[in-house]
Parts: sequence; structure tokens; C-alpha cells
Amino acid sequence: MQFLEEQLKKVGQLFAKGKPFEKFYPLYEALDTFLLTPGKTAAKAPFVRDAVDMKRVMIFVVLALIPATLMGIYNTGYQIEIAKGLTHSFWGAVEAGAWKVIPIILVSYAAGGFWEVLFAVARKHEINEGFLVTGILFALTLPPSIPLWQVAVGISFGVVFGKEIFGGTGMNVFNPALTARAFVFFAYPAQISGSTVWVAVDGYTRATPLAVAAATPKGHAVVQALADAGYNFQNMFFGFIPGSLGETSALACLLGLAFLLITGVASWRVTLACVLGLLTMSSGFYLMQGPGRLAFFGLPPYWHLVMGGFAFGAVFMATDPVSAAATNAGRWIYGFLIGILVVLIRVVNPAYPEGVMLSILFMNAFAPLIDYFMVENHMKRRLQPKKLG
Amino acid sequence: MATFQIKQGRDIKLKGAAPKEIVALSLPRQVAVVPADFKGLKAGLCVKVNDAVKTGTPLFEDKHCPGIKVVSPVSGRVAAINRGEKRFLEDIVVESDGRNEAVTFRKFPASEISGLSKEDVEKSLLQSGLWPVLRQRPFSKVAHPREPPKSIFVHAMNTEPLAPDVDFILQGKEEQFQAGLNALRRLTKGKVYLCVRHGAQSKALTQARGVETHYFAGPHPAGNVSTHIHYLDPIRKGDHVWYVEAQDVARIGSLFLEGVYPPERVVAVTGEGAGRRFYAKTIVGAPVSLLLKGSGLAGMRCVSGSVLAGREVGKNGYLSFYDSQLTAIPEGGKRVLLGWLSPGFDKYTFSRTFVSSFLPEKKEVSLTTDKQGSDRAIVLNHIYDSLVPLDIMVYFLLKAVIGGDIEEAEKLGILECDEEDFALCSFACPSKTDVGGIIREGLELIEREG
Repeated sequence: MQFLEEQLKKVGQLFAKGKPFEKFYPLYEALDTFLLTPGKTAAKAPFVRDAVDMKRVMIFVVLALIPATLMGIYNTGYQIEIAKGLTHSFWGAVEAGAWKVIPIILVSYAAGGFWEVLFAVARKHEINEGFLVTGILFALTLPPSIPLWQVAVGISFGVVFGKEIFGGTGMNVFNPALTARAFVFFAYPAQISGSTVWVAVDGYTRATPLAVAAATPKGHAVVQALADAGYNFQNMFFGFIPGSLGETSALACLLGLAFLLITGVASWRVTLACVLGLLTMSSGFYLMQGPGRLAFFGLPPYWHLVMGGFAFGAVFMATDPVSAAATNAGRWIYGFLIGILVVLIRVVNPAYPEGVMLSILFMNAFAPLIDYFMVENHMKRRLQPKKLG
Repeated sequence: MATFQIKQGRDIKLKGAAPKEIVALSLPRQVAVVPADFKGLKAGLCVKVNDAVKTGTPLFEDKHCPGIKVVSPVSGRVAAINRGEKRFLEDIVVESDGRNEAVTFRKFPASEISGLSKEDVEKSLLQSGLWPVLRQRPFSKVAHPREPPKSIFVHAMNTEPLAPDVDFILQGKEEQFQAGLNALRRLTKGKVYLCVRHGAQSKALTQARGVETHYFAGPHPAGNVSTHIHYLDPIRKGDHVWYVEAQDVARIGSLFLEGVYPPERVVAVTGEGAGRRFYAKTIVGAPVSLLLKGSGLAGMRCVSGSVLAGREVGKNGYLSFYDSQLTAIPEGGKRVLLGWLSPGFDKYTFSRTFVSSFLPEKKEVSLTTDKQGSDRAIVLNHIYDSLVPLDIMVYFLLKAVIGGDIEEAEKLGILECDEEDFALCSFACPSKTDVGGIIREGLELIEREG
């Protein structure tokens, strides 16, 4: 400990003002405070401080993503086994999945980390731990067959255009991970949509549940169509289906949610509002079902919860405090509208089978406006004479 | 009379409370007056080094509003006038001669105080140098005689960590306190509010006459002046409200009854770093070394006031004019391997990110000055509002101030606030944002430009 502290101090001198590596001080700071707590004292009141810091908070979000990550690894391998007709073995699936998933995560961290450091150096501020979250969030929204160079390009776009051009952490309008995902989605549609990309086996085709549901002809029962394609509520809930890496398992997302709520890191309002919005809209469609209407209308409303990326988006993406609404009333509206939009895009928009990414980005854009009205309202109310008691 | 139950906020139950015993200390050999304590005053010196002074002799006078004087709390001679950068006046040190000679002012029988005119009361306070105990909101500066307040708040409770118990301090000072209240009443056409801790016992507080007494219960900052003003007579643009510490009300009473400047002050000596903890009966401007005599102060931080809202004064410093608390806590700065990963059985946090968050709350916690993290951009913007009992959207107010938008900040209620009201936000912020400091900058900007 003492030894480490002294060594770090020695190395740190190379990064001090006027020394050769002065410019790279943020890198040193990141490593130094990663290994040892910063050991700074409060110069001004308050002279005592809470034990929690940003590192802890961000690490906790990463911890909350572990179930989804592990599930992504296992399921990627499992789907490969099915596609290749291999006999199932747990460790075999994990190994095959790991070979696909871990490189994606590493590339995402490496490419994104590069930009993060570059901007920290150029702007002379510390490296923000938020990147630890962005890097893995983005990776988990990708299909397992994604080419690694697209991962690198995507996260670069996300970090630079989703975050840094707005002024960096805390200033961004859009969720950087989703910005990255949207960029890849529109730039390389062949590798991120359709029915051939969701299992990491060349030439293997299997439509996702949402695609199946959207393609069900009028007059047919959508649940039956899903069952014919091998999808039921149970396997969609557990996540043993093709899809984006971290998004297939609603259960894994629920575990993450539980962790975030117990530790108080995420706002429960947004997630709950997303769920309520989704159920409201899907119930509306469900009540309108009938002959001549889209078969998708007939999907039981709660099925939407476990399909596609909704659980992942509502737990990890919509709740990003920087890009979400920041007033309590605003959080309700913001989340509720996300839920509504998700179902709207899924069910009646023929262009996109999934609407989570677009809904959240769309509402990211509207969050400041929602807040604006809430704050205006608050200021107007403040002008009213206050009643005693 | 009403009782207000404050819900937002948190008590930090720090180790090192002062047991309730008052110990009279000997007269300090040196005292200091620190002009920076008197916000809003521009000091014009009235004395030179080596001048002989009495208790009540003006040391400096405000250049903006001549008549507001700050006086010597002891008799003796001016030992030093210390200046810092750009000739900034740091402090005026007076060496006591132990004789306690005092300048005499007009005194009044208790029954006459209520009948005095506003001008008489003002004159007495200004002449005697006791005027600066009156402060005004917004901006928490020394009250201006020509900006009459819509009401006056007597701050008779304190919920800061290890704060002195005002209720206890006032015991035995009923007569002076009531006389002081009577004098205050002459200074405003509005009401005088006496804000007291729910459950207060002292007769001075519970039997105060001629004022509106209100009780506040709940966690810190239930005892902050802003909280009281917010619930009783909120400040809007153009309003002035005055406030005064309860101990100083008793001093005002003494001045009127006895006709001399009353320098006495009871100070709670608190904190883990204080070798001996007690309520010290001393005088304003007393040196830290006297109050902490006998404590080993190596590796300790000495703060005039509380750890949340106080000012670091150092071992050779002096108690601030307005403070009745001195806190000494251990310095932090120990580096811990992979601290962000530790389960944290003994970490103190408002968050729920350590094991300790799920264990029964400790009766007392031991905290150092460790910042426990690095400065980062604000990300978790939802944690502030639950710590501020004012009707303020803290995150948006911060954004308005950082963006320099005065008008927006005023609409969001910055004029109701003071730096100290956000101390808990700064405490709890994982990004270690100096929330109170940002608010102070906003207030300073408004004062300069508004």
C-alpha cells in the first residue's frame, strides 16, 4: 500500500505541470484514483463528505449490467449451437458466446476509451467514469454478428457526437450509447437489421419475435404465429432467443433493475412510467383488435414487456439521468411517452420492427422541453402567495 | 404559533457533542476582529497599531454606510493589523489589558425599552457597535439601517452537526432576552418571529412576549434561517428580512439594560478532535487556542461553526463573530486501495451504495475531512431536492447560475437561499459538486449587477 502510493507519486511527477507528460495528466489521474482513493480533503465547507463518489455510482451501473452481459454471452453461444445443430453443453455455449461477445465489448471500450481520453486531454479535465457504462451499454445493444470495425466506428460516433460535442459528460442531450446504436443502425442496416444477423452463424436466418409479430398476416392469431416460429412468453422472458446481445433476457434486465433500485442509483419513476406507457398503448391496441386489423393488435399487452429491447431500454437507457427529464413530473411524462412510442412504432410502423431505440432518442430530444414547462410551472407557482402551514 | 414538521434533509450525527456544562474561561490575552466576517461592509479603519482601546471602541467603520461600526470586545491596545494580498484587511488583533474598561452608552430601565422609538433603538445599536449582529436576507449581509425589513427572525435553534443547544445557552438569560426582543420589535413595522426547536424548554424561549413563536421539528436544515423564512414570510424580489442569533438578542438586551457593549458569548467546543468538549463562556473573537487548550491539534481541522457551514480558522485563528460553535475534526487524506470496490461496512453515506447503508444507523459517526472522491460533472441530478426543505428546484437553479442567467435564478428562488442551505447537497453529491459555492456565486453576481 505504502509502496504503491510512493510509486504512484513518483510516476505522477512525470505528469505534473511543466513535465514531459503534462498533457496526459487525465490518464494518470484515472489510473491513480482507480488504484487508490484520491485522498483529497475538503478545502471548503462542508468539511465532511459522503463516502459515495462517481466511480462508485458508475461501477454500480456496470454491476447491474452483469446479468445481462453473462446472459448475452451464454445465449449467443446457445443460439450458435442451435443454428449449427450441435448438442447443447453449458460450457460449450459459454465458450462460443464469449468468443463473440467479449471482443465486441473490448473493441467498444478501446475505441470509445480512446476518444474519451483524447477529449479529456484536449479539454484538460479528468476522465469521467460514465464511459465505463456507455462502453458496455452500446456493446449489449448490438447483434452478435456485428463486424468489429462497425463497433469501433459506432462507439466513436456515440462518444464524439453523442456526448463530447455537447460539452462532455453531464451536458449531452442524447444518450451516447443509443446515439452510437442509432448511427450503426442507419449507417450499416445490413449488419444490424433483418433476420440474418441475430445469430452469429453465417447464412442462418431466423426472424426476431417482433419481426414475426409484425409479419403475421391479418386474420391470423399472433400468439400462434410466434409459437410456430418457436417463441413463447417464457423463452422471451428468460431470453433464450435470437436478438441483440444483452437485450433478449427480460429476467436479466429485471435483476439489474432490482440492483439499481435497491442501491438507489436509478430513478424508479422513469422505468415505471415506461412500463405504464407501454401497457397503456398495447392495451389500447389489444382492445381494438378484430378482423381487418393488424394481427399484431391481438398480442397480449404484457408480452410487449419481454419482447425486443424494451426491458433493457427502460432499465438502462431511458434512466440515464443526464439525457432524461430532470423534474419529477417530467420523468413521468418522459417515461410514459417512451412506452407509448415503443408500441406505436412496433405495431403500426411498417419500417422498423423495433421502436425502443428511436423512442428513447426521440424523448431525449424532448426531455429539455418537458423540463422547460415543468420549471415554468414551478416558477409561476412560486409567485403565488404562500399559505402559512 | 405553529409547529412545522420538516421532512427534507438529514441529520449527520457526528461524534463529539459538547456535554451541557458551561465553563467560564479566563479573559483571552488576545482577541481578533475579522472584517471578512461582516459581509457587505467595507472596512475603514478607526485605529492604528498600539492605540489604546476600551471595550466598545470602534475598530473600523463601514465606508458605504458610515455609522455601522465594529468595536473592540476587550480593553487594551491594538496589537496588530494584518493585511493580506492587495492590502486586504485580514484581521485586527487586540491585546487585552485585563481591566475590562468599557465605553458607556445610554441605558434604559427594562420597562422603557418597549416604548423607545425606532430611531433610539437604531442609534443605540449603531453607537455601541452591536448593530452588525443584525443581518439581512437576501445575501446574508449586515443589515442596512435604511432598508427596513418586512419582518425580523430570531434564530433560536440550530440543527447543524454538533450544534450548540440554543435552548440551553439561553437559560438564565430570560430578562436580557426579553429586553432584546422588545428592542427588536421597534425596528420593524412587521412581525418579529421567534423560531424555536420543537420541544424547547427554556423560559426565555417558551415565555417570550410580543413576538410570534414558531416551532420547527425534523432533520437539518430545519434549524436554518432560510427554512424559517421560507415557511413564515418568504422573500420575493425587493423584500428585506432581517435575522439575528438568539444569543445576540440577549446581548442586545444587555446593552439596553446595562449601557455597555456586551462581549460575552457562549461557545460550544465540539468535535472528535477537541480534547475537552464543553460550552465555553468567553467573548466574541476569542482565539481557537484558548478554546481548544489542552487538545493535541496535530492532524486536526479547526472550524469556526459547524462542519457543514463553518469556516476553517486554523489552530492560531479566532472564532468568527457570528459563530457560537467551534469544531475540531481529524484531517482525512488517507489513500485506500481500490476504495470504490470496498463493501463499506463502516462508510457513512446518504446513498445506498455501501453495506453500511443497510445496517442499523449508528448513534454517532466519525468523519474526517476526506473528500472521498474526485470532482466530476453532475450526473445524478435527482439527489438534491430531498435534502432541501425550500421550494427550490436545486438542479435547475444550479444550471441557471452556472449559465449566468440572473433572471431565471431569481425566478427559481435564489433570493430565498444562502450557501449554507445547500451544504447537505454538497455533502451527498457523488460528483463532489460545491453546490453551496455555486449558489453563493449566483448571489454575488445578483448583488453586483442587480
